Amino acid sequence: MEEGFIENRATSVPFAGILADLLTANLTQRPEKRAVHDNMSGAVAIELVDIETVVTLLFASGKLRIEEGIVGRPEIVIRTTSDLVMDLNALRIVGGLPWYFDEAGRRVLAHLVSGRLKIRGLFTQPVLLTQLTKIMSVM
Amino acid sequence: MAKYNAMTQEWLDAWKEKIATSKEYREIAKNWEGSVAIIVNPDPEKGIPEPIYVFTDYWHGDVRDFLICDKAKAESANFVMSGDFARWKQVAKKEVDSTKALMQGKLKLKGDLTYVVRNIKTVNKVIDLLCEMETIWPDEA
Repeated sequence: MEEGFIENRATSVPFAGILADLLTANLTQRPEKRAVHDNMSGAVAIELVDIETVVTLLFASGKLRIEEGIVGRPEIVIRTTSDLVMDLNALRIVGGLPWYFDEAGRRVLAHLVSGRLKIRGLFTQPVLLTQLTKIMSVM
Repeated sequence: MAKYNAMTQEWLDAWKEKIATSKEYREIAKNWEGSVAIIVNPDPEKGIPEPIYVFTDYWHGDVRDFLICDKAKAESANFVMSGDFARWKQVAKKEVDSTKALMQGKLKLKGDLTYVVRNIKTVNKVIDLLCEMETIWPDEA
């Protein structure tokens, strides 16, 4: 992958490093996910409330920058806990959309219903959220 | 249930046996292939004067080598997890979730993270079986 594709400016945040590593590997291994990434525009914040960690993912012009904390006004804010966040990576994509009808999908739905996973922008930012799910999914 | 001194070959043999005889593990891990090393950072005050290197190897539901090894062998594994003794002990006692420890940087992982996430049930099962072990920890002996 070319240099500068993902810029992690939150190097003091271990979670940011994990996100950067995971996305780098996923987008390198899966060109179709890379194509989705290249068309993304907007900001997504992910907050892990149990370890008091927040990072913002800023997508623009085929690049991703990861910043510590909330930067700007993210279109999507995901709030969950460190032990649940990886469940989002297990969502399958079927017919170009996240699939909620298998074990992994039902688990994510259960987190949403129970309030252990909150997504601001769930209904107002469907395109960006679907794109995010596609690039985060390792399935 | 027999008790084993942590991070010894006898302890590893018992853990390996526990995994190898788990039908649930065999089913969950049928797609996993690859070795995992555990590196325990030294902590003289806790009875760990030098780093401990552990090499474990898994293949489609089977369990292969489980060894106390040297640094070179550990670093040859497909996945290398490292952390302080206190953190490993917390994970083994189910006091800390291993994913949480990773997110906090208290455990570090080298290797293809996408593969680990794709097979997280296998990883969690191996840890669950570790948590079921009766372990004598060096700082508690």
